[in-house]
Amino acid sequence: MEAGEEPLLLAELKPGRPHQFDWKSSCETWSVAFSPDGSWFAWSQGHCIVKLIPWPLEEQFIPKGFEAKSRSSKNETKGRGSPKEKTLDCGQIVWGLAFSPWPSPPSKKLWARHHPQVPDVSCLILATGLNDGQIKIWEVQTGLLLLNLSGHQDVVRDLSFTPSGSLILVSASRDKTLRIWDLNKHGKQIQVLSGHLQWVYCCSISPDCSMLCSAAGEKSVFLWSMRSYTLIRKLEGHQSSVVSCDFSPDSALLVTASYDTNVIMWDPYTGERLRSLHHTQLNPPMDDSDVHISSLRSVCFSPEGLYLATVADDRLLRIWALELKTPIAYAPMTNGLCCTFFPHGGVIATGTRDGHVQFWTAPRVLSSLKHLCRKALRSFLTTYQVLALPIPKKMKEFLTYRTF
Amino acid sequence: GHPWCRGCGGEALIYVKLISSDGHEFIVKREHVLTSETIKTMLSGPGHFAENKTNEVNFREIPSHVLSKVCMYFTYKIQYTNSSKEIPEFPIAPEIPLELLMAVNFLDC
Repeated sequence: MEAGEEPLLLAELKPGRPHQFDWKSSCETWSVAFSPDGSWFAWSQGHCIVKLIPWPLEEQFIPKGFEAKSRSSKNETKGRGSPKEKTLDCGQIVWGLAFSPWPSPPSKKLWARHHPQVPDVSCLILATGLNDGQIKIWEVQTGLLLLNLSGHQDVVRDLSFTPSGSLILVSASRDKTLRIWDLNKHGKQIQVLSGHLQWVYCCSISPDCSMLCSAAGEKSVFLWSMRSYTLIRKLEGHQSSVVSCDFSPDSALLVTASYDTNVIMWDPYTGERLRSLHHTQLNPPMDDSDVHISSLRSVCFSPEGLYLATVADDRLLRIWALELKTPIAYAPMTNGLCCTFFPHGGVIATGTRDGHVQFWTAPRVLSSLKHLCRKALRSFLTTYQVLALPIPKKMKEFLTYRTF
Repeated sequence: GHPWCRGCGGEALIYVKLISSDGHEFIVKREHVLTSETIKTMLSGPGHFAENKTNEVNFREIPSHVLSKVCMYFTYKIQYTNSSKEIPEFPIAPEIPLELLMAVNFLDC
Protein backbone atom coordinates (compact mmCIF):
# COMPACT_ATOMS: atom_id res chain seq x y z
CA MET A 1 0.00 0.00 0.00
CA GLU A 2 1.34 3.37 -0.95
CA ALA A 3 0.94 6.24 1.46
CA GLY A 4 -2.36 7.90 0.68
CA GLU A 5 -4.26 4.75 -0.17
CA GLU A 6 -7.07 3.85 2.19
CA PRO A 7 -6.37 1.02 4.65
CA LEU A 8 -7.89 -2.21 3.42
CA LEU A 9 -9.45 -4.71 5.74
CA LEU A 10 -7.25 -7.82 5.61
CA ALA A 11 -9.12 -9.99 8.08
CA GLU A 12 -11.60 -9.84 10.92
CA LEU A 13 -11.80 -12.09 13.95
CA LYS A 14 -15.15 -12.48 15.67
CA PRO A 15 -15.73 -14.36 18.89
CA GLY A 16 -17.62 -17.65 18.65
CA ARG A 17 -20.72 -18.45 20.67
CA PRO A 18 -20.93 -15.99 23.54
CA HIS A 19 -20.05 -17.11 27.03
CA GLN A 20 -22.82 -18.16 29.37
CA PHE A 21 -22.78 -14.82 31.19
CA ASP A 22 -23.80 -12.64 28.31
CA TRP A 23 -23.39 -9.31 30.10
CA LYS A 24 -23.50 -6.52 27.58
CA SER A 25 -20.63 -4.81 29.32
CA SER A 26 -18.13 -7.64 29.33
CA CYS A 27 -17.75 -8.34 25.61
CA GLU A 28 -15.29 -5.56 24.74
CA THR A 29 -11.84 -5.88 23.28
CA TRP A 30 -10.14 -3.31 25.49
CA SER A 31 -6.66 -4.16 24.29
CA VAL A 32 -4.85 -5.79 21.38
CA ALA A 33 -1.15 -6.63 21.25
CA PHE A 34 1.49 -8.20 19.04
CA SER A 35 4.53 -9.85 20.61
CA PRO A 36 7.74 -7.80 20.03
CA ASP A 37 9.05 -10.37 17.51
CA GLY A 38 5.76 -10.42 15.63
CA SER A 39 5.16 -14.14 16.11
CA TRP A 40 1.99 -13.91 18.25
CA PHE A 41 -1.14 -11.81 18.51
CA ALA A 42 -3.13 -11.48 21.73
CA TRP A 43 -6.87 -10.96 21.31
CA SER A 44 -8.78 -10.04 24.41
CA GLN A 45 -12.13 -11.13 23.01
CA GLY A 46 -14.34 -10.25 25.93
CA HIS A 47 -16.06 -12.50 28.44
CA CYS A 48 -12.80 -13.03 30.29
CA ILE A 49 -11.10 -14.89 27.44
CA VAL A 50 -7.80 -14.00 25.76
CA LYS A 51 -6.89 -15.87 22.58
CA LEU A 52 -3.22 -16.16 21.68
CA ILE A 53 -2.94 -16.51 17.94
CA PRO A 54 0.24 -17.35 16.04
CA TRP A 55 1.14 -14.78 13.42
CA PRO A 56 0.90 -14.82 10.44
CA LEU A 57 -2.76 -15.86 10.53
CA GLU A 58 -3.80 -19.21 9.17
CA GLU A 59 -5.73 -19.52 5.90
CA GLN A 60 -9.12 -19.80 7.58
CA PHE A 61 -8.96 -16.22 8.86
CA ILE A 62 -8.18 -14.62 5.52
CA PRO A 63 -11.26 -13.84 3.38
CA LYS A 64 -11.40 -15.89 0.19
CA GLY A 65 -9.75 -14.34 -2.80
CA PHE A 66 -7.67 -11.90 -0.83
CA GLU A 67 -3.96 -11.88 -1.46
CA ALA A 68 -2.65 -11.17 1.99
CA LYS A 69 0.67 -9.63 0.97
CA SER A 70 1.80 -9.19 4.52
CA ARG A 71 1.82 -12.93 5.09
CA SER A 72 5.20 -14.48 4.42
CA SER A 73 5.16 -17.95 2.94
CA LYS A 74 6.00 -19.87 6.07
CA ASN A 75 3.86 -22.86 5.25
CA GLU A 76 6.66 -25.17 6.28
CA THR A 77 6.16 -24.18 9.90
CA LYS A 78 2.63 -25.54 9.96
CA GLY A 79 2.11 -29.08 11.12
CA ARG A 80 4.15 -30.91 13.72
CA GLY A 81 5.70 -28.57 16.24
CA SER A 82 4.10 -25.42 14.87
CA PRO A 83 2.58 -23.15 17.50
CA LYS A 84 -1.16 -23.50 17.92
CA GLU A 85 -3.73 -21.07 19.16
CA LYS A 86 -4.03 -20.86 22.95
CA THR A 87 -7.06 -19.86 25.01
CA LEU A 88 -6.50 -18.15 28.34
CA ASP A 89 -9.49 -18.12 30.66
CA CYS A 90 -8.73 -15.26 32.97
CA GLY A 91 -11.82 -15.67 35.11
CA GLN A 92 -12.75 -11.98 34.97
CA ILE A 93 -12.88 -9.10 32.51
CA VAL A 94 -9.51 -8.45 30.86
CA TRP A 95 -8.50 -4.83 30.38
CA GLY A 96 -4.75 -4.58 29.82
CA LEU A 97 -2.36 -6.79 27.80
CA ALA A 98 1.42 -6.74 27.40
CA PHE A 99 3.97 -9.16 25.96
CA SER A 100 7.58 -9.60 26.99
CA PRO A 101 10.38 -11.91 25.91
CA TRP A 102 11.16 -14.43 28.61
CA PRO A 103 14.74 -15.71 29.02
CA SER A 104 13.98 -19.40 29.30
CA PRO A 105 10.67 -21.14 29.78
CA PRO A 106 10.29 -22.23 33.41
CA SER A 107 8.19 -25.13 32.26
CA LYS A 108 10.74 -26.27 29.66
CA LYS A 109 10.81 -29.76 31.16
CA LEU A 110 7.03 -29.93 31.01
CA TRP A 111 7.11 -28.75 27.42
CA ALA A 112 9.71 -31.34 26.43
CA ARG A 113 7.60 -34.12 27.93
CA HIS A 114 4.66 -33.39 25.64
CA HIS A 115 6.56 -32.32 22.55
CA PRO A 116 9.60 -34.47 21.71
CA GLN A 117 11.00 -31.73 19.53
CA VAL A 118 11.12 -28.47 21.43
CA PRO A 119 9.74 -26.08 18.80
CA ASP A 120 11.88 -23.32 17.45
CA VAL A 121 9.76 -20.51 18.84
CA SER A 122 10.83 -17.58 20.94
CA CYS A 123 10.00 -17.63 24.65
CA LEU A 124 7.34 -15.14 25.55
CA ILE A 125 5.07 -14.16 28.41
CA LEU A 126 1.82 -12.21 28.39
CA ALA A 127 0.62 -10.06 31.27
CA THR A 128 -3.16 -9.58 31.59
CA GLY A 129 -4.67 -6.76 33.66
CA LEU A 130 -7.94 -7.79 35.28
CA ASN A 131 -11.11 -6.30 36.66
CA ASP A 132 -10.41 -6.71 40.37
CA GLY A 133 -6.85 -5.40 40.25
CA GLN A 134 -5.02 -8.69 39.77
CA ILE A 135 -2.41 -9.17 37.08
CA LYS A 136 -1.93 -12.67 35.68
CA ILE A 137 1.27 -13.59 33.90
CA TRP A 138 1.00 -16.42 31.33
CA GLU A 139 3.57 -18.38 29.38
CA VAL A 140 2.64 -17.97 25.72
CA GLN A 141 3.96 -21.26 24.29
CA THR A 142 1.99 -23.41 26.73
CA GLY A 143 -0.83 -21.16 27.93
CA LEU A 144 0.18 -21.90 31.51
CA LEU A 145 -0.39 -19.43 34.32
CA LEU A 146 2.98 -18.47 35.79
CA LEU A 147 2.31 -15.71 38.30
CA ASN A 148 -0.46 -13.76 40.00
CA LEU A 149 0.43 -10.20 40.99
CA SER A 150 -1.71 -8.61 43.68
CA GLY A 151 -1.67 -5.05 44.91
CA HIS A 152 -3.99 -2.91 42.83
CA GLN A 153 -7.39 -2.24 44.34
CA ASP A 154 -9.30 -1.75 41.12
CA VAL A 155 -9.26 -2.43 37.35
CA VAL A 156 -5.78 -2.74 35.83
CA ARG A 157 -6.47 -0.80 32.65
CA ASP A 158 -3.07 -0.87 30.99
CA LEU A 159 0.27 -2.65 31.19
CA SER A 160 3.71 -1.98 29.78
CA PHE A 161 6.89 -4.07 29.90
CA THR A 162 10.37 -2.59 29.51
CA PRO A 163 11.19 -3.09 25.81
CA SER A 164 14.72 -4.19 26.70
CA GLY A 165 13.36 -7.46 28.07
CA SER A 166 14.57 -6.69 31.60
CA LEU A 167 11.24 -8.03 32.89
CA ILE A 168 10.13 -4.88 34.71
CA LEU A 169 6.39 -4.41 34.36
CA VAL A 170 4.39 -1.22 34.84
CA SER A 171 0.65 -1.35 35.51
CA ALA A 172 -1.91 1.48 35.41
CA SER A 173 -5.10 1.23 37.44
CA ARG A 174 -8.46 2.77 38.30
CA ASP A 175 -7.14 2.89 41.85
CA LYS A 176 -5.24 5.99 40.63
CA THR A 177 -1.83 4.43 41.03
CA LEU A 178 0.77 2.90 38.79
CA ARG A 179 2.84 0.03 40.11
CA ILE A 180 6.25 -1.33 39.20
CA TRP A 181 6.76 -5.10 39.38
CA ASP A 182 10.00 -7.04 39.04
CA LEU A 183 9.43 -10.37 37.32
CA ASN A 184 13.03 -11.36 38.02
CA LYS A 185 11.96 -11.57 41.67
CA HIS A 186 8.75 -13.55 41.23
CA GLY A 187 6.70 -10.47 40.53
CA LYS A 188 7.69 -8.48 43.58
CA GLN A 189 6.05 -5.06 43.73
CA ILE A 190 8.95 -2.62 43.91
CA GLN A 191 7.21 0.76 43.74
CA VAL A 192 3.85 2.47 43.85
CA LEU A 193 3.54 5.68 41.82
CA SER A 194 0.94 8.03 43.24
CA GLY A 195 -0.09 11.41 42.00
CA HIS A 196 -2.98 10.96 39.63
CA LEU A 197 -6.32 12.12 40.97
CA GLN A 198 -8.49 10.05 38.67
CA TRP A 199 -8.53 6.60 37.06
CA VAL A 200 -5.26 5.96 35.26
CA TYR A 201 -6.07 4.92 31.68
CA CYS A 202 -2.74 4.21 30.09
CA CYS A 203 0.97 3.78 30.55
CA SER A 204 3.85 3.49 28.13
CA ILE A 205 7.58 2.97 28.62
CA SER A 206 9.94 4.69 26.15
CA PRO A 207 11.90 2.28 23.91
CA ASP A 208 15.17 3.36 25.56
CA CYS A 209 13.57 2.41 28.90
CA SER A 210 14.37 5.77 30.50
CA MET A 211 10.88 7.27 30.75
CA LEU A 212 7.36 6.25 31.65
CA CYS A 213 4.31 8.15 30.49
CA SER A 214 0.95 7.83 32.24
CA ALA A 215 -2.39 9.50 31.56
CA ALA A 216 -5.65 9.53 33.46
CA GLY A 217 -9.17 10.95 33.65
CA GLU A 218 -7.65 14.40 34.07
CA LYS A 219 -5.94 16.92 31.79
CA SER A 220 -2.31 16.53 32.90
CA VAL A 221 -0.10 13.83 31.44
CA PHE A 222 2.60 12.55 33.78
CA LEU A 223 6.17 11.74 32.78
CA TRP A 224 8.16 9.59 35.23
CA SER A 225 11.79 8.49 35.35
CA MET A 226 12.22 4.73 34.96
CA ARG A 227 15.54 5.01 36.81
CA SER A 228 14.40 6.70 40.00
CA TYR A 229 10.63 6.06 39.69
CA THR A 230 9.97 9.72 40.43
CA LEU A 231 7.91 12.29 38.56
CA ILE A 232 9.93 14.25 35.99
CA ARG A 233 7.21 16.64 34.86
CA LYS A 234 3.54 17.10 34.06
CA LEU A 235 2.53 17.89 30.49
CA GLU A 236 -0.29 20.40 30.22
CA GLY A 237 -2.29 21.00 27.09
CA HIS A 238 -5.21 18.65 26.87
CA GLN A 239 -8.68 19.88 27.81
CA SER A 240 -10.15 16.59 28.93
CA SER A 241 -9.31 13.02 29.99
CA VAL A 242 -6.24 11.58 28.31
CA VAL A 243 -6.81 7.95 27.34
CA SER A 244 -3.86 6.75 25.27
CA CYS A 245 -0.14 7.46 24.95
CA ASP A 246 2.77 6.13 22.90
CA PHE A 247 6.46 6.93 22.37
CA SER A 248 8.14 7.03 18.96
CA PRO A 249 10.56 4.14 18.26
CA ASP A 250 13.56 6.40 18.98
CA SER A 251 12.01 7.75 22.22
CA ALA A 252 12.27 11.30 20.83
CA LEU A 253 8.52 11.93 20.57
CA LEU A 254 5.50 11.23 22.73
CA VAL A 255 1.91 11.29 21.50
CA THR A 256 -1.15 11.47 23.73
CA ALA A 257 -4.83 11.15 22.78
CA SER A 258 -7.74 12.72 24.62
CA TYR A 259 -11.53 12.93 24.79
CA ASP A 260 -10.97 16.57 23.80
CA THR A 261 -10.66 15.25 20.17
CA ASN A 262 -6.97 16.04 19.90
CA VAL A 263 -3.74 14.12 19.73
CA ILE A 264 -0.79 16.14 21.01
CA MET A 265 2.77 15.40 19.99
CA TRP A 266 5.35 16.33 22.64
CA ASP A 267 9.10 16.42 23.04
CA PRO A 268 9.35 14.29 26.21
CA TYR A 269 12.78 15.68 27.11
CA THR A 270 11.76 19.33 27.21
CA GLY A 271 8.00 19.00 27.73
CA GLU A 272 7.32 21.19 24.69
CA ARG A 273 4.18 20.72 22.61
CA LEU A 274 5.25 20.21 19.03
CA ARG A 275 1.85 19.96 17.39
CA SER A 276 -1.82 19.06 17.78
CA LEU A 277 -3.68 16.73 15.47
CA HIS A 278 -7.30 17.81 15.28
CA HIS A 279 -9.88 15.12 14.65
CA THR A 280 -12.50 17.01 12.73
CA GLN A 281 -15.36 15.27 11.03
CA LEU A 282 -15.18 14.38 7.37
CA ASN A 283 -18.70 15.70 6.79
CA PRO A 284 -19.65 18.72 8.90
CA PRO A 285 -22.70 18.11 11.16
CA MET A 286 -26.12 19.52 10.30
CA ASP A 287 -26.81 20.37 13.90
CA ASP A 288 -25.08 20.29 17.27
CA SER A 289 -25.89 16.68 18.01
CA ASP A 290 -22.61 15.27 16.71
CA VAL A 291 -20.35 17.68 18.54
CA HIS A 292 -18.80 15.17 20.95
CA ILE A 293 -18.36 12.15 18.75
CA SER A 294 -14.69 12.65 17.85
CA SER A 295 -13.36 11.64 21.25
CA LEU A 296 -10.10 9.78 20.83
CA ARG A 297 -9.72 6.22 22.06
CA SER A 298 -6.26 5.20 20.99
CA VAL A 299 -3.09 6.43 19.29
CA CYS A 300 0.02 4.52 18.25
CA PHE A 301 3.24 5.02 16.30
CA SER A 302 4.26 2.89 13.33
CA PRO A 303 7.42 0.82 13.85
CA GLU A 304 9.65 2.94 11.60
CA GLY A 305 8.39 6.10 13.29
CA LEU A 306 6.87 7.90 10.29
CA TYR A 307 3.13 7.33 10.81
CA LEU A 308 0.48 7.41 13.51
CA ALA A 309 -2.80 5.54 13.67
CA THR A 310 -5.73 6.87 15.72
CA VAL A 311 -9.10 5.40 16.66
CA ALA A 312 -11.89 7.84 17.47
CA ASP A 313 -15.57 7.70 18.42
CA ASP A 314 -16.60 9.17 15.07
CA ARG A 315 -16.22 5.70 13.59
CA LEU A 316 -12.94 6.33 11.81
CA LEU A 317 -9.48 4.83 11.85
CA ARG A 318 -7.11 7.57 10.69
CA ILE A 319 -3.54 7.28 9.44
CA TRP A 320 -1.35 10.37 9.85
CA ALA A 321 2.08 11.09 8.36
CA LEU A 322 4.47 12.65 10.85
CA GLU A 323 4.95 15.95 9.05
CA LEU A 324 1.40 16.66 7.87
CA LYS A 325 -1.51 18.35 9.63
CA THR A 326 -4.32 16.27 8.22
CA PRO A 327 -4.74 12.50 7.94
CA ILE A 328 -3.46 10.78 4.81
CA ALA A 329 -6.01 7.98 4.94
CA TYR A 330 -9.24 6.92 6.64
CA ALA A 331 -11.05 3.64 7.16
CA PRO A 332 -14.53 3.19 8.61
CA MET A 333 -14.65 1.31 11.87
CA THR A 334 -17.46 1.23 14.39
CA ASN A 335 -17.05 1.07 18.15
CA GLY A 336 -13.26 1.12 17.98
CA LEU A 337 -11.38 1.01 21.27
CA CYS A 338 -7.73 0.24 20.60
CA CYS A 339 -5.10 -0.05 17.90
CA THR A 340 -1.57 -1.27 17.44
CA PHE A 341 0.89 -1.76 14.57
CA PHE A 342 2.46 -5.08 13.66
CA PRO A 343 6.11 -4.70 14.80
CA HIS A 344 7.55 -5.18 11.29
CA GLY A 345 5.08 -2.77 9.71
CA GLY A 346 2.43 -3.18 7.05
CA VAL A 347 -0.51 -4.13 9.29
CA ILE A 348 -2.62 -2.37 11.95
CA ALA A 349 -4.79 -4.33 14.38
CA THR A 350 -7.88 -2.69 15.94
CA GLY A 351 -10.25 -3.90 18.66
CA THR A 352 -13.91 -3.00 19.13
CA ARG A 353 -16.64 -2.85 21.74
CA ASP A 354 -18.22 -6.08 20.53
CA GLY A 355 -15.06 -8.13 20.92
CA HIS A 356 -14.09 -8.04 17.25
CA VAL A 357 -10.57 -7.53 16.00
CA GLN A 358 -9.71 -6.24 12.54
CA PHE A 359 -6.45 -6.21 10.63
CA TRP A 360 -5.84 -3.40 8.16
CA THR A 361 -3.15 -2.72 5.60
CA ALA A 362 -0.87 0.06 6.79
CA PRO A 363 1.49 2.22 4.72
CA ARG A 364 4.64 0.23 3.96
CA VAL A 365 7.30 2.82 3.51
CA LEU A 366 11.01 2.63 3.02
CA SER A 367 12.51 5.26 5.33
CA SER A 368 14.88 7.78 3.80
CA LEU A 369 18.48 7.35 4.92
CA LYS A 370 18.10 10.76 6.52
CA HIS A 371 15.30 9.54 8.76
CA LEU A 372 17.17 6.32 9.53
CA CYS A 373 20.14 8.39 10.76
CA ARG A 374 17.84 10.54 12.87
CA LYS A 375 16.22 7.46 14.38
CA ALA A 376 19.65 5.94 15.13
CA LEU A 377 20.92 9.13 16.74
CA ARG A 378 17.80 9.89 18.76
CA SER A 379 17.75 6.37 20.16
CA PHE A 380 20.57 7.43 22.44
CA LEU A 381 20.68 11.25 22.36
CA THR A 382 18.32 13.46 24.35
CA THR A 383 17.04 16.72 22.86
CA TYR A 384 19.56 18.69 24.95
CA GLN A 385 22.43 16.53 23.73
CA VAL A 386 21.39 17.18 20.13
CA LEU A 387 21.22 20.91 20.74
CA ALA A 388 24.79 20.81 22.08
CA LEU A 389 26.21 19.17 18.94
CA PRO A 390 28.46 21.23 16.65
CA ILE A 391 26.11 21.05 13.70
CA PRO A 392 24.10 23.60 11.68
CA LYS A 393 20.83 24.90 13.09
CA LYS A 394 18.76 23.28 10.35
CA MET A 395 20.27 19.93 11.19
CA LYS A 396 19.33 20.40 14.86
CA GLU A 397 15.78 21.26 13.85
CA PHE A 398 15.60 18.11 11.78
CA LEU A 399 17.01 15.94 14.55
CA THR A 400 14.63 17.35 17.17
CA TYR A 401 11.62 16.88 14.90
CA ARG A 402 10.92 20.59 14.70
CA THR A 403 10.76 20.72 10.91
CA PHE A 404 7.04 20.87 10.39
CA GLY B 1 37.46 3.07 -22.78
CA HIS B 2 36.35 1.92 -19.38
CA PRO B 3 36.34 -1.83 -18.91
CA TRP B 4 33.58 -1.56 -16.36
CA CYS B 5 30.98 0.12 -18.53
CA ARG B 6 29.11 -1.01 -21.53
CA GLY B 7 29.74 1.12 -24.53
CA CYS B 8 31.64 4.35 -24.49
CA GLY B 9 30.48 6.87 -26.95
CA GLY B 10 27.01 8.07 -26.20
CA GLU B 11 25.18 5.08 -24.78
CA ALA B 12 23.89 5.30 -21.24
CA LEU B 13 26.52 4.00 -18.85
CA ILE B 14 25.35 1.29 -16.48
CA TYR B 15 27.85 1.93 -13.74
CA VAL B 16 29.19 5.06 -12.13
CA LYS B 17 32.20 5.56 -9.91
CA LEU B 18 31.90 7.29 -6.54
CA ILE B 19 35.19 8.34 -5.00
CA SER B 20 35.53 8.99 -1.27
CA SER B 21 37.71 11.63 0.37
CA ASP B 22 40.31 8.99 1.22
CA GLY B 23 40.53 7.74 -2.34
CA HIS B 24 38.33 4.61 -2.22
CA GLU B 25 36.45 4.00 -5.41
CA PHE B 26 32.95 2.57 -5.30
CA ILE B 27 31.55 1.27 -8.56
CA VAL B 28 27.80 1.34 -8.30
CA LYS B 29 24.93 0.85 -10.75
CA ARG B 30 23.74 4.14 -12.15
CA GLU B 31 20.15 3.18 -11.33
CA HIS B 32 21.10 2.87 -7.67
CA VAL B 33 22.86 6.19 -7.25
CA LEU B 34 19.91 8.05 -8.71
CA THR B 35 18.34 7.54 -5.28
CA SER B 36 20.36 10.57 -4.32
CA GLU B 37 18.83 13.70 -5.79
CA THR B 38 22.17 15.44 -5.60
CA ILE B 39 24.06 12.75 -7.50
CA LYS B 40 21.24 12.61 -10.04
CA THR B 41 21.69 16.30 -10.70
CA MET B 42 25.47 16.02 -10.86
CA LEU B 43 25.31 13.19 -13.38
CA SER B 44 22.77 14.77 -15.66
CA GLY B 45 25.21 17.46 -16.66
CA PRO B 46 25.74 18.29 -20.34
CA GLY B 47 26.71 15.30 -22.42
CA HIS B 48 26.76 11.62 -21.59
CA PHE B 49 29.91 10.81 -23.46
CA ALA B 50 32.66 8.82 -21.79
CA GLU B 51 35.08 11.71 -22.28
CA ASN B 52 33.07 13.83 -19.87
CA LYS B 53 33.41 13.06 -16.22
CA THR B 54 29.65 12.55 -15.66
CA ASN B 55 30.25 8.90 -14.84
CA GLU B 56 32.46 9.74 -11.86
CA VAL B 57 31.77 11.77 -8.76
CA ASN B 58 34.39 12.89 -6.29
CA PHE B 59 33.24 13.38 -2.72
CA ARG B 60 35.99 15.37 -1.07
CA GLU B 61 34.17 15.47 2.27
CA ILE B 62 32.78 11.96 2.55
CA PRO B 63 35.14 9.29 3.94
CA SER B 64 34.95 5.69 2.73
CA HIS B 65 33.34 4.24 5.88
CA VAL B 66 30.43 6.62 5.30
CA LEU B 67 30.25 6.33 1.52
CA SER B 68 30.17 2.54 1.72
CA LYS B 69 27.12 2.76 4.00
CA VAL B 70 25.42 5.11 1.56
CA CYS B 71 26.00 2.59 -1.26
CA MET B 72 24.52 -0.14 0.91
CA TYR B 73 21.42 2.01 1.39
CA PHE B 74 21.08 2.43 -2.39
CA THR B 75 20.99 -1.35 -2.75
CA TYR B 76 18.52 -1.68 0.14
CA LYS B 77 16.24 0.91 -1.37
CA ILE B 78 16.20 -0.58 -4.85
CA GLN B 79 15.66 -4.06 -3.46
CA TYR B 80 12.67 -3.24 -1.26
CA THR B 81 10.88 -0.46 -3.13
CA ASN B 82 7.74 -1.79 -4.85
CA SER B 83 8.32 -5.21 -3.37
CA SER B 84 5.75 -7.12 -1.37
CA LYS B 85 8.43 -8.62 0.86
CA GLU B 86 8.64 -7.53 4.48
CA ILE B 87 11.13 -4.67 4.73
CA PRO B 88 13.94 -5.57 7.14
CA GLU B 89 15.67 -3.01 9.34
CA PHE B 90 18.60 -1.14 7.83
CA PRO B 91 21.34 -1.37 10.45
CA ILE B 92 23.36 1.70 11.37
CA ALA B 93 26.17 1.14 13.89
CA PRO B 94 26.19 3.72 16.71
CA GLU B 95 29.57 5.23 15.72
CA ILE B 96 28.55 6.58 12.35
CA PRO B 97 25.03 8.12 12.33
CA LEU B 98 26.17 11.70 12.80
CA GLU B 99 28.80 11.59 10.02
CA LEU B 100 26.36 9.66 7.89
CA LEU B 101 23.67 12.27 8.47
CA MET B 102 25.99 15.05 7.31
CA ALA B 103 26.73 13.19 4.09
CA VAL B 104 23.09 12.25 3.60
CA ASN B 105 22.00 15.83 4.11
CA PHE B 106 24.25 16.82 1.23
CA LEU B 107 23.23 13.86 -0.91
CA ASP B 108 19.49 14.23 -0.22
CA CYS B 109 18.48 10.59 0.10
